[in-house]
Amino acid sequence: MDFAYDDEQKALQSAVREMANRLVPQETSGDVPVGPRPLDRDAWTAIAEMGLLGLPISEDAGGMGASPVEVSIAAAELGAARLELPYADAMAAAVMIARGEGGDDLLESIVDGSSVVLTALAEPGRAWDPEHPEATATKSDDGWTITGHKLGNNDLTEADAVVTTAQCPDEGCTCVFLVREPKASGASVSFESAEAIRLGDLDLLTEGLNVGIIALGGEALGAMGAALRSTVEYLKTRKQFGVPLAAFQTLTQRAADMYVSVELARSTVNFASMAITDHPGDSATASRLKLITGRTGRHVGQEAIQLHGGIGMTAEYSVGHHTTRLTQIEHTFGDSRYHLARLTAGVREHDMVDVLA
Amino acid sequence: MQRQLTDEDRAFQQEMRQFFTETVPEELRSGLSKDGEVDPDVMRRAQRLLNEHGLAVPHWPTEFGGKDWTELQRHIWRTEMQAADVPPPLAFNANMIGPVIASFGSQEQKERFLPPTANLDIWWCQGFSEPDAGSDLASLRTTAVREGDEYIVNGQKTWTTLGQFADWIFCLVRTDPNAPKKQMGISMLLIEMNSPGVTLRPIKLIDGGHEVNEVFFENVRVPADQLVGEENKGWDYAKFLLGNERVGVAPVGSIKRKLADAKAYAAQTKTATGTMLDDPLLAARIAELEAEVMALEVTVMRVAGNSKEGRPDPVSSILKLRGSELQQEVLELITDIAGPASLHWTPTDDIEEWAARSTPTYLNFRKASIYGGSNEVQRSVISGGILGLKG
Ligand SMILES: Cc1cc2nc3c(=O)[nH]c(=O)nc-3n(C[C@H](O)[C@H](O)[C@H](O)COP(=O)(O)OP(=O)(O)OC[C@H]3O[C@@H](n4cnc5c(N)ncnc54)[C@H](O)[C@@H]3O)c2cc1C
Repeated sequence: MDFAYDDEQKALQSAVREMANRLVPQETSGDVPVGPRPLDRDAWTAIAEMGLLGLPISEDAGGMGASPVEVSIAAAELGAARLELPYADAMAAAVMIARGEGGDDLLESIVDGSSVVLTALAEPGRAWDPEHPEATATKSDDGWTITGHKLGNNDLTEADAVVTTAQCPDEGCTCVFLVREPKASGASVSFESAEAIRLGDLDLLTEGLNVGIIALGGEALGAMGAALRSTVEYLKTRKQFGVPLAAFQTLTQRAADMYVSVELARSTVNFASMAITDHPGDSATASRLKLITGRTGRHVGQEAIQLHGGIGMTAEYSVGHHTTRLTQIEHTFGDSRYHLARLTAGVREHDMVDVLA
Repeated sequence: MQRQLTDEDRAFQQEMRQFFTETVPEELRSGLSKDGEVDPDVMRRAQRLLNEHGLAVPHWPTEFGGKDWTELQRHIWRTEMQAADVPPPLAFNANMIGPVIASFGSQEQKERFLPPTANLDIWWCQGFSEPDAGSDLASLRTTAVREGDEYIVNGQKTWTTLGQFADWIFCLVRTDPNAPKKQMGISMLLIEMNSPGVTLRPIKLIDGGHEVNEVFFENVRVPADQLVGEENKGWDYAKFLLGNERVGVAPVGSIKRKLADAKAYAAQTKTATGTMLDDPLLAARIAELEAEVMALEVTVMRVAGNSKEGRPDPVSSILKLRGSELQQEVLELITDIAGPASLHWTPTDDIEEWAARSTPTYLNFRKASIYGGSNEVQRSVISGGILGLKG
């Protein structure tokens, strides 16, 4: 096992870092909006031009032919720079389209950024559980139609198509579908016998979400790393009682615990991105990653605000934004509870967790 | 030891419950806020209604509207009020400056300020913190120089909560820059917010809301009769005030209300096999929190019973520490119950108000472990003041 990036990966990392820093005002500035926001088309085009939207797509489909490892490297830089884009969501959707059957004509425009395709997998009033949707799909001679209500992770009004799941009562299974021109209102979209293309079964959902979860993990790592760096810097410079805060051991020890969290998350994300490259359907590893980054994200985010004191609570300062984003990441594609439950259901199936398998 | 309420206290509890749930109208109880921000009109109407019934400032001296209640009765009053979601009397008025004026103010000040303070005819804000004086409050730099029968005030305050609605600010100012200890040169001044030279700048927090401000003072002239007590004794009054701030700061009633709400939200969030409340992992978290809140609640009562003549027991630091932590944990639980809906901050037909508010509220309440003496400061009070561990 080797966790070192090769030269190409390092080049990707520094290119994305440079671009992300250019796109986001790094100085503390009150102009940076707080909370969910509509898609920033300019930033989307910029990351498309760099090839980030095609990273996990094969070259013959117009993509970069890279792996989830590269997705996580790119996402980490977006997270560190606070470039809040639906990157993980779009990667999950793109992978389902690329590996499924029927949406191939969209791939090129997804990769070049001209088509935005996002997921709409949650349902209003229901816990996250895309494998057991209430929405239903019906097959006729003309193809499939879907009926039901869905909720995206993002504002869907700019989406040219969405990827969703619906149960197919006639066949007794749940499948993944593509719906073009969804009539979205904010994050909600409702289908009434909407024409849909069946992309594949739940294995496809797992493969897509696994890449999405890797991207989320990368973004969380970036956000945690940045929050830790600002905290360390702040402890060195902020003075109270005539000394820098770093003179209070109770604070420095907590910064050390934050570092421990970030590094454990880093190993987990790096390992999982390699494992999922090799085994695209490895949902147990994806769940472990989600659980670890969910918990470390909370730990690091909450401590970053606390150790900054009042300034950490403000919209003008970066740590609050990182914590806000970490909170969103935790609630995207299933939270720690959901993934822990999934892992709990599977503990009988193995003796030990074998990371070298 | 005795667990049960006496008949008298039970009747009192019943009376409070009835008042808060029946006399206080629903529109005042459905929360402090409109779109997550404080609605000053609701606050004023609620406090005036309480004051009209003698329930706004029960811990003040009786001649200014106080009730000779026991600590237990005060606890019952507070908890029933929170459990019914009635906006509590503005803390800056009822718990902070009111008791200070009642204890240290001149007779004129008492007569001038206490009735409008109890009735929220004057809205007070707290001008203690400065950019370089947070936990280290005594290093504050705002100056007040006596000139005839006025003080000339210059400097800056920050984190002034709800300053945008305030009529007056109670400030700590430096009156003797040469005092042997920095705590000894500080005074407390009462300043009208519309005095020439006072300006306010809003600070936006991470939930997108505006509740705190910076306040700037530029050659502000303050009549000398607005000095509280004696010059250079402000630190003593501030310590008294902060001690009061800490007592009753464990919002047990609202934590219990929120936890009950969380259960209701979980029970209405469907899963493939039932509701979220049927999920053993979620139910276990609720059960743990219920046990922890119980431990806090009975500690509040134990501490309340111990405190003598309004002097806070140092054990009250436990209440601030654990109260803020549990409050934060319950709000975090609610974001998890909202799950995918918590990603969207605007309610719609598909996203209920509670779910849309869950993340901003959770983020906003990260403040609870920072203000009013941060949790680190509370741990120092416990380790130094109770355990005798210095450093
Ligand atoms: C939402 C909000 C509302 C507020 N409202 C008001 C208000 O109305 N009026 C007002 O006057 N103030 C108000 N405050 C200010 C509040 O009291 C201060 O934020 C608080 O005292 C902490 O100060 P600071 O922010 O400067 O943090 P700092 O003092 O810089 O602390 C930063 C971190 O270091 C820790 N720390 C500091 N010193 C020590 C030490 N000696 N040992 C161990 N740890 C230490 C702190 O606990 C914190 O974690 C408010 C703050 C917030 C966030």
